[in-house]
Amino acid sequence: MLSWFFCILLLGLRVTESQASGLAPPQQVRLDADKAAQKLSVTWEDGHASTFDVEILRTELMEIVLNETVGVTADQSTGKHQWNWTSPVPLECTSLSVKVRSRDGQDVSEWSSQQILPGLDLPDNAVAQMYPEGKTVPVGSDMTFCCIVEEGQQFGNLWYKTLQMNETMLSRRTYATTMTIREPSNPSGTNVVCSNEKNIMVTGAVVFVGYPPLPSDLVCETHDLISVDCQWTKGRNTYLFGKTRQTYYTLNGRNCTKAKNSNMHCGWEQWEGNWTLVARNPLGQFRLTDAAQLGHRVRPVAPVNLTTPEVYSWNASVGWHWNYNGYERLSLICQVQRTSHWNSSTQTYTGHGLTTVVLKDLQPDEEYSVKVRCGSQKNFWKWGEWSLPLSFQTKMDRPKAPDIWVWMDSDNLGRVLWKPLTKRESHGQVSGYEVTLWSPEENGQQTFTLPQSMYSHPINMTDRGSKVTVTARNPAGVSLPANIVIPRHLPDTEDTTISKVAFNGSGFPLSWVAQTNASCGYVVDWYNTSCTQDCSVEWTKVAADNTNTVVQSSNFFAGVRYTFSLYACSSESTVLLERWHGYMQELVPSQAVPRLSPNQEGSDVQLTWDQIPLEHQRGFILGYTVYLTNASHLTLLANITDPQLTNHTVRQLVLGSYKFTVKAYTAAGEDGGATVSISLDPYTYWLILELLVALGAMTCVLILITIACYRKRKWVKKAFYPEIPEPKLPGDWGITQGTLDVKPSPHSMVHIVEDPVWDSSKEALVSVPEEDEEGTGDEAADTDEPAVLRYYNQVVEEGSSSRGRPHASDSSASSTGSMDSGHTDVTYTGIQTSACSLAHFQPQPDASQCAGDGGYRPQMQSASCPEDPQAGPEEHLQPPVGSFGGYQPQCSWKQDSPEADGGLDQAYLGSPTSVTSSQFLLPHDTSSEEGKEHPSSASTWFHNLLTGKP
Amino acid sequence: MADQEQIDIDTLLDMPAPERSRTGRASALARLLHQDCTHLLELYRERESLLSDHTPAGDRIVSLSLSSPDLSSDEQVRLLHSALRKCLGLLECLILREEEEMGELEGEYETARKSVRDRLGHLLHSTKVLLETDEDVTPDHQCDEEVDGVVGTFGAKMWTYRVLLELTHWADSASQTLHVLHSEREGKEEEI
Repeated sequence: MLSWFFCILLLGLRVTESQASGLAPPQQVRLDADKAAQKLSVTWEDGHASTFDVEILRTELMEIVLNETVGVTADQSTGKHQWNWTSPVPLECTSLSVKVRSRDGQDVSEWSSQQILPGLDLPDNAVAQMYPEGKTVPVGSDMTFCCIVEEGQQFGNLWYKTLQMNETMLSRRTYATTMTIREPSNPSGTNVVCSNEKNIMVTGAVVFVGYPPLPSDLVCETHDLISVDCQWTKGRNTYLFGKTRQTYYTLNGRNCTKAKNSNMHCGWEQWEGNWTLVARNPLGQFRLTDAAQLGHRVRPVAPVNLTTPEVYSWNASVGWHWNYNGYERLSLICQVQRTSHWNSSTQTYTGHGLTTVVLKDLQPDEEYSVKVRCGSQKNFWKWGEWSLPLSFQTKMDRPKAPDIWVWMDSDNLGRVLWKPLTKRESHGQVSGYEVTLWSPEENGQQTFTLPQSMYSHPINMTDRGSKVTVTARNPAGVSLPANIVIPRHLPDTEDTTISKVAFNGSGFPLSWVAQTNASCGYVVDWYNTSCTQDCSVEWTKVAADNTNTVVQSSNFFAGVRYTFSLYACSSESTVLLERWHGYMQELVPSQAVPRLSPNQEGSDVQLTWDQIPLEHQRGFILGYTVYLTNASHLTLLANITDPQLTNHTVRQLVLGSYKFTVKAYTAAGEDGGATVSISLDPYTYWLILELLVALGAMTCVLILITIACYRKRKWVKKAFYPEIPEPKLPGDWGITQGTLDVKPSPHSMVHIVEDPVWDSSKEALVSVPEEDEEGTGDEAADTDEPAVLRYYNQVVEEGSSSRGRPHASDSSASSTGSMDSGHTDVTYTGIQTSACSLAHFQPQPDASQCAGDGGYRPQMQSASCPEDPQAGPEEHLQPPVGSFGGYQPQCSWKQDSPEADGGLDQAYLGSPTSVTSSQFLLPHDTSSEEGKEHPSSASTWFHNLLTGKP
Repeated sequence: MADQEQIDIDTLLDMPAPERSRTGRASALARLLHQDCTHLLELYRERESLLSDHTPAGDRIVSLSLSSPDLSSDEQVRLLHSALRKCLGLLECLILREEEEMGELEGEYETARKSVRDRLGHLLHSTKVLLETDEDVTPDHQCDEEVDGVVGTFGAKMWTYRVLLELTHWADSASQTLHVLHSEREGKEEEI
């Protein structure tokens, strides 16, 4: 019971404490909504607390939106408290409930009565809606859109443009989505669309996203010296358009209605000195200021009514008017811009109230367009606007002297050339030209009048010193004459140094040594080198104090060789100084080497070709490359760096077929190449030729040997046919009868067969010493020779021979016979037939005896022996009359010894047994017998050759 | 392309032509107008990021029926002429509102919009000639937001969308009706 009492007491104490804090809940809470700004204003009355707890809930779902303690002081006049809150969600989206309580530290009052801000999602507003609608926000804003679906429908999706968004349910019919908008919208705004459960668009809203204005560069100036005109730069694009969102400007508080789009101008009737420009749009405003004195901001208007009071050939005057009288006292600076078809220039003039200027250095017969603008000379600010252009044409004047040149095709024929006068040079329409040829030697002249379309005239000159004059004519008069002395024709082939010149990208740079005789400068002409007839010649003239130039032309083409000739020009002559060749761009030759042909030379092949024609070279030929072509593969054989060399020999090739390709190359590379084939033949002819050469060489050697043998015949004779010493007969045959001093060879014995019919008159076989004294008595030498060589057979007389054995006993027979006898064995080898030389030892045979019958006879030589031992050798060579042909035993046999006489009366005298000798077997030439000469045979000739006899 | 077509149409209009050619000319104009309207509608959808199935709610703005079997060809043409006048009025109002909302722009959409307005005016002249009466060719619509039911910026866009759909519909109707009329008159002339 007691415990119950304490409990009730404690509870009563706490209630008493609460009531004792004195915090009364806020009274008369009121809600005011600014839906466009999504702001909620909460006001209440409470006289004591300054701190309050505010709680905001979404009414339908009782979700707390805000529960915050705020400090709010009471308005002194009304005694009310007001607290503002900006809702992130449009206030139309759903109903909000607001309640407030006072707080003093930890003490709080009771909550106020709940106040409800009704949303538009109440059942009595059944249509679909979306909020906020038509709002303008800056780029980067966080935006929450809510969709209130139609009563009875289900929510589907929320779309930002075509992007489906995540939604949050705020109430039964309301769904919201929040996003950060990072891109400005297009002029019609960005759509946010809500669809129902069938994905049918039910409602939507538009948001305009952009920037606040940001103008710059406000400048105010005067044109009429009274009013002001301010200009500024629009600056950043706001992306906001239309009447409600575009930027509006005010200048010193006055609307600038004309400031639209890019025309940022605003003015006022009077100069104020200070100006403030305010630019404003739904997202904000921007302020610009400017200040200046009028005299410092004068920008004249454009001059008007331009005229040309006076126009001449070389100058004209231009006048204009000002729209404002104040300009008459203004010191002006004006620019006059004149434009012709070839040039545009600006000249500046100054003066008070300037209204007229004189234009100088104009060109005759030229159409000009002029325009004028001015500024304040004192405290110059800006140039005024250009006036409207005024066109006028200057008057004509006589033309300039044409630029002439003479091109000589040959020594006497040439052309006078001149360049067409440009509009700037003609000073009017050229009506024609006059060409005058002067001949100082003859003191005469020839004049030709040519139409305006002619720019050359042929000349036929015989006088080297002739001069040409060309004048041009237009309606205003005749030009000054252009003179030139005709140069001498000098083709490349003459003694002229020709250099190469390279194109440097813009032209051909030429330089030369200054010439003292170039009183009127230099002329460089050029033409296509390969051109032969009616060549297009261009030229340029260089002042006398220049020694270089760059030749430029639009007519230079790649791959074409040009010849540049430098002439020194004077009043007396035009002399060629130097010549160059050059290519604007070298190309590979357009044609392969012509006439490529192979020529076999044994195992070598010589390739020959011709030079590529100049027009096809298309560059300086640097050389040739020779390739061996194997299928499509090229093997380099030689690189000929001498362009003049047009042959090459490929050596040491084996038999077979070959294809050779020769390519010419320039700095740009090789041409396509010319290919030729050759099949190497065996060297038959060469072998035959070599054989013939070898035979010829052998013949020569033999001849030389023969000559040598002839010259050394004595030695040869001694070596091969040693002289058999003649038998030395004692002065008295009868007295000095004795034994034959024969030193028989150990292997050759002579057996003397005794013949009963021995004729003592017969010559005996005798030993004959050699004619060469050196060999005489040289026993040692003799020992080398067969002993039989030292003997001659005895001469057999015809009579004795005829008397002896019949002819059947020829040498062979005799030999056989002797062999049969077995008594003697005599062998003769190479026995000489020089019996006649021993004629004086021979008896005097009867000639009739030599001319015996036609049967076999021993050698007839004895018969030819002269009867008269005193007779000359010619006589000895006379064959005996009536001698007959046929084999004849050697008649040179002689009796060598008396002892042999008696035994040698037979026909086989001298060869008692057998005789073996080729000489014996030689046939006797019948014709020779019949002639006056002795028989001649090869052996005889050879013998004579060796013996030195003719 | 549009300029070339404009020249062709102007040439057609200036040419004196027989009855058959007049119907043919009107039919051709209606066909071109339908193409222009379709193009303009596509540009609008593209500009507003509207899906093709985003069909705005609401009834027809120009509610005339040409499908009644009791209507003669002349009556159909007369109804058509009347509908086209209303369409022209709606288009003029559309242009006015858009220029007020966005300023005077010079994009592809604005060019197509002008082309449709000009061609629609030509078609009205052609149908007037066909009717051989003193039909008015001026726009038959007053810009009234309350009447049009335009509420808010998005509402104005939906109204614009509806107007463009209406233009496309009536241009198509005109093309078909005039083509039928042209075929009928051509057949009659051949019979004669």
